[in-house]
Amino acid sequence: MAERCAVIGVGQTKHDVKRTDVSLPGLLREAVDRAFADAGVGWRDIDAVVIGKAPDMFEGTMMPELYLADALGAAGKPMLRVHTAGSVGGSTAIVAAQLVHAGIHERVLTVAYEKQSEGNAMWALTVRIPFQQAIVAGAGGYFAPLIRAYMRRSGAPEDTGIRVALKDRQNAAKNPYSHLVFPDVSYEMIAGSPMLWDPIRYMETCPSSDGACAMVLASEAAAKRARQAPAWVHGTAMRSEPTMFAGRDQVNPRAGRDCAAELYRKAGITDPRRDLDCAEIYVPFSWFEPMWMENLGFAPEGEGWKMTQEGATALDGDMPINPSGGVLSSNPIGASGMIRFAEAALQVRGLAGEHQVPGAERALGHAYGGGSQFFAMWIVGRARP
Amino acid sequence: MAAAIAGRLTAAHVLEYPYRRSVGPVLGAFFTGLTERRVTGVKARDGRILVPPVEYDPDTGEAISEMVEVGPGGVVTTWAWVEKPRRKHPLDRPFAWALIRLDGAGSAMLHVVDAGSAAAMETGMRVRPRWKDEPEGNIRDIVCFEPE
Repeated sequence: MAERCAVIGVGQTKHDVKRTDVSLPGLLREAVDRAFADAGVGWRDIDAVVIGKAPDMFEGTMMPELYLADALGAAGKPMLRVHTAGSVGGSTAIVAAQLVHAGIHERVLTVAYEKQSEGNAMWALTVRIPFQQAIVAGAGGYFAPLIRAYMRRSGAPEDTGIRVALKDRQNAAKNPYSHLVFPDVSYEMIAGSPMLWDPIRYMETCPSSDGACAMVLASEAAAKRARQAPAWVHGTAMRSEPTMFAGRDQVNPRAGRDCAAELYRKAGITDPRRDLDCAEIYVPFSWFEPMWMENLGFAPEGEGWKMTQEGATALDGDMPINPSGGVLSSNPIGASGMIRFAEAALQVRGLAGEHQVPGAERALGHAYGGGSQFFAMWIVGRARP
Repeated sequence: MAAAIAGRLTAAHVLEYPYRRSVGPVLGAFFTGLTERRVTGVKARDGRILVPPVEYDPDTGEAISEMVEVGPGGVVTTWAWVEKPRRKHPLDRPFAWALIRLDGAGSAMLHVVDAGSAAAMETGMRVRPRWKDEPEGNIRDIVCFEPE
């Protein structure tokens, strides 16, 4: 039987296109200092540090965990780096949780970040190999055909993506840490925005952000001494599959379905739409909301779009998705997954402020990465498991 | 580009990728100081002056921001001689990589000593900076150190 693990502190930066006011260590410390203030702990209370970010070439700071060790108070303490592409923020949190579940540490600081202004991830993902057809321009170029495949398979109305973007951008206006906020956002504004990678419009895509997220995870004994109500970890799961193999379903990947099934088994969830109160899922392009609704079992295959169209995923719907505004509103890549996990924790702690889902008891945090191939998820709850 | 082998296609593939850094308030002050031919460190909680400066105390993790000017002269604490400089080395003649503790500093900084020959190098020797004519806020504003 594993030890219990709780989230006792959450912190994130103000996400923005260019945080030139802070260094890389300064960016991380903005999130960490807020997580410490939330938890009521200081450096002496931390036993280990688990850090994650997207590939090093995105900023060109190689093995940044070594350079950041002093700024993260890790001198003389175990420090671990996690690498799982865009899902890394989620898997980093899970590795940190495992150190507590295993009874090894009382309090673990976990941090994830990206400072996209220091490099150019979009073009780093656009390598043009000689003698090969150049088909990919950034992540959007990779994912747009998968969205087209989903639209064809499901027969979803063409404007489903617009409705997702409208809802996420309205939610973002309620979140003080959001990078992108359009106070007067409307259906027409999104529908009229330029087509970037058909069928993904400009306002249906995520920004490039500088930002960080930090959490303090604690054992049951340490959680009792925390400053505010904790979020208890009810279950975690990770799954991966290769980028390419015969018969691979990239629209509804097997790794994601298996990951969700294991997660629900661990957390005692039999019907996710009924048993969970809200979810923060990784939606970098609007259409991934209905696609992940199906992959995560919130809707039968081919029907995820109905949840969006019916308003079920809105803040006042029966299954609010991305009350924070999601990845569409802030995307510091490495941190984006951890922000999902942290926002789920804030919801069940009742600390989500203006974007709080009233009475949220159990919430899902979800991250994916690579070519829809790396998955990390957790369920947190107000009640001790 | 590799030489073409008969019957095989070859092509150059240059992958270039720009980076830029935000140095933040503490290193920012250090680099600004260099443009004025001053070297600055920070005062850690235990009173040590750390040069180059760091934003967070390596012992306690606390934010530190009290800037202190050090040098300009200092002491070589250890060194390694480079008899045949390579193309990208900072000097085109034999030189020493050295850790230099500037006067007033509690830590040593990596830089270059232009001493002519290894025989002129000694741990504990005093050195002073030679500045570039027009400093631009970069560690190479100090061209090298030379024996006092």
